[in-house]
Amino acid sequence: MKGTAQVAQIVGLPIATAIALCIIWQVVVTTGGVPEYFLPAPSHVGQKLTTSMPELLGHTAISGLEAVAAFLLATLLGFFAAAVLNYSPLLRDVLYPGIVGFQLIPKVALAPLFVVWLGTDSLSRISFATFLSFFPVLISTLTGLQNADPNAVRLCRSLTASDWQIFVSVRVPFSLPFFFSATKVAATLAVTGIVVAEFITANAGLGFLILSSGPTMETPTIFAAIFMLCIVGLSLYGAVALLERAGRRWFTGA
Amino acid sequence: MSSTGPLPQQPAQSWGMRRVVAPIVFALVVFILWELWLRFFPMSRAVIVPPSAIYETMVNSLPIFMKHTRSTLVEIIGGFALASVVGVSLGTIITMSTWVRQAFYPNIVFFQLIPKVAVAPLFVVWLGFGSPSRLAFAVFMAFFPIAVATATGLANTKLDAVRLGRSLTASNWQIFTSIRLPFSTPHVFAGLKVGMTMAMIGIIVGEFITGQEGLGYVIMFASSAGESAPLYAALFLLATMGLGLYSCVLLAELAVQRWYGAPFASEGFA
Repeated sequence: MKGTAQVAQIVGLPIATAIALCIIWQVVVTTGGVPEYFLPAPSHVGQKLTTSMPELLGHTAISGLEAVAAFLLATLLGFFAAAVLNYSPLLRDVLYPGIVGFQLIPKVALAPLFVVWLGTDSLSRISFATFLSFFPVLISTLTGLQNADPNAVRLCRSLTASDWQIFVSVRVPFSLPFFFSATKVAATLAVTGIVVAEFITANAGLGFLILSSGPTMETPTIFAAIFMLCIVGLSLYGAVALLERAGRRWFTGA
Repeated sequence: MSSTGPLPQQPAQSWGMRRVVAPIVFALVVFILWELWLRFFPMSRAVIVPPSAIYETMVNSLPIFMKHTRSTLVEIIGGFALASVVGVSLGTIITMSTWVRQAFYPNIVFFQLIPKVAVAPLFVVWLGFGSPSRLAFAVFMAFFPIAVATATGLANTKLDAVRLGRSLTASNWQIFTSIRLPFSTPHVFAGLKVGMTMAMIGIIVGEFITGQEGLGYVIMFASSAGESAPLYAALFLLATMGLGLYSCVLLAELAVQRWYGAPFASEGFA
């Protein structure tokens, strides 16, 4: 086990580094006379955060809810699609190469297509973010389902377990680590998808706030909005990481 | 991926054939249905056009598409190259000393978790609407995964190999070039593959919001122009570009592996 001093170093050192960088940033900006529209000092960003908190919270609620909706949809659809592909070898052979190939092309480029198809409101943004975060969940979960210990599968089959029983009590537990590592990727991608969609639909939300503050040189607002987005992204990621721990504990029975 | 069914239901050869033929047939069927559907049930050209119309548009306005494709391709390659240099260097530097690694590595990993795409408009504020801002944004997007992967690869070198080298009186530099570097290549290339995707995303999002040139600009422009054929044509070109660039990274990985004499598994040391 690691000693307390070592733990303090491992936890404290990165935090101290981050704080030191912020202080350097603050000092350079205030003493170097860097114009605020170019790079606001951390203290200015903090001020902006407190003075326009109600407005920021409004945008955060919109982006946050859409990101959560897209994440949940992508996770459910991804898991369901993986289960279907796991069940049918024919579908797997037909679709899998395309799905993997799809991972290699820049899907972000399809964002305007969703606007063309679904308009500029919430539905189009959530659909795009779902689309973006769906594929990692599908691929990873399918890999997990397929790589379940063949011995365990054979054992259950010889004990006359049905396909469904094998799926629930062998394949799903084996796939959980794959599934959860993918949901973490999906959490980040869902937020990314919402932000990109807000860039191009430009109605409301933090992405809209960031983009619309650019031409007016309200850089402190941009930084404040990015800060709020970081909180949204990290909360979603943290929630998924906690769920992962709970899920693993539940399935390993530890 | 291997099937984990209890018994092989068919001889191995027909499995292999089906795996190659099935996706190609499926793609052809989709294209034919797409074409026929729109012929019998026409829809607004602002929303969707048949594949034949996409092809026509691409052929008719080839010079325009070539110009934008070149702009996008050059920027992606430039951004990726810069990000690779910066990422590998940074990943190497932070693994040089335990202190530096402990101070910076968690912060870099932390940066991976936040939606970096949101920062794009800041680059426009700093560098304007031209190519430099898109390039800088692509580098910013792409270098994090490369740096993290390099640091992970260098830090996870098999200790036995390092000890062996040391006992044979290898210098730190020799250990770095002939043990740590080869052992880290699978990680580095995993990072480079993610980095390539990120560089593409960076350039395309940059083109979306700067709206000057490139396939991202064509897509944005066509999506609001009520004529979707250029949009689909640009998407097709981008998809081809994505697959091509990914294959290049894959080929480079094979070349490096061959140069080092063996495919190095990150944990294997035989």
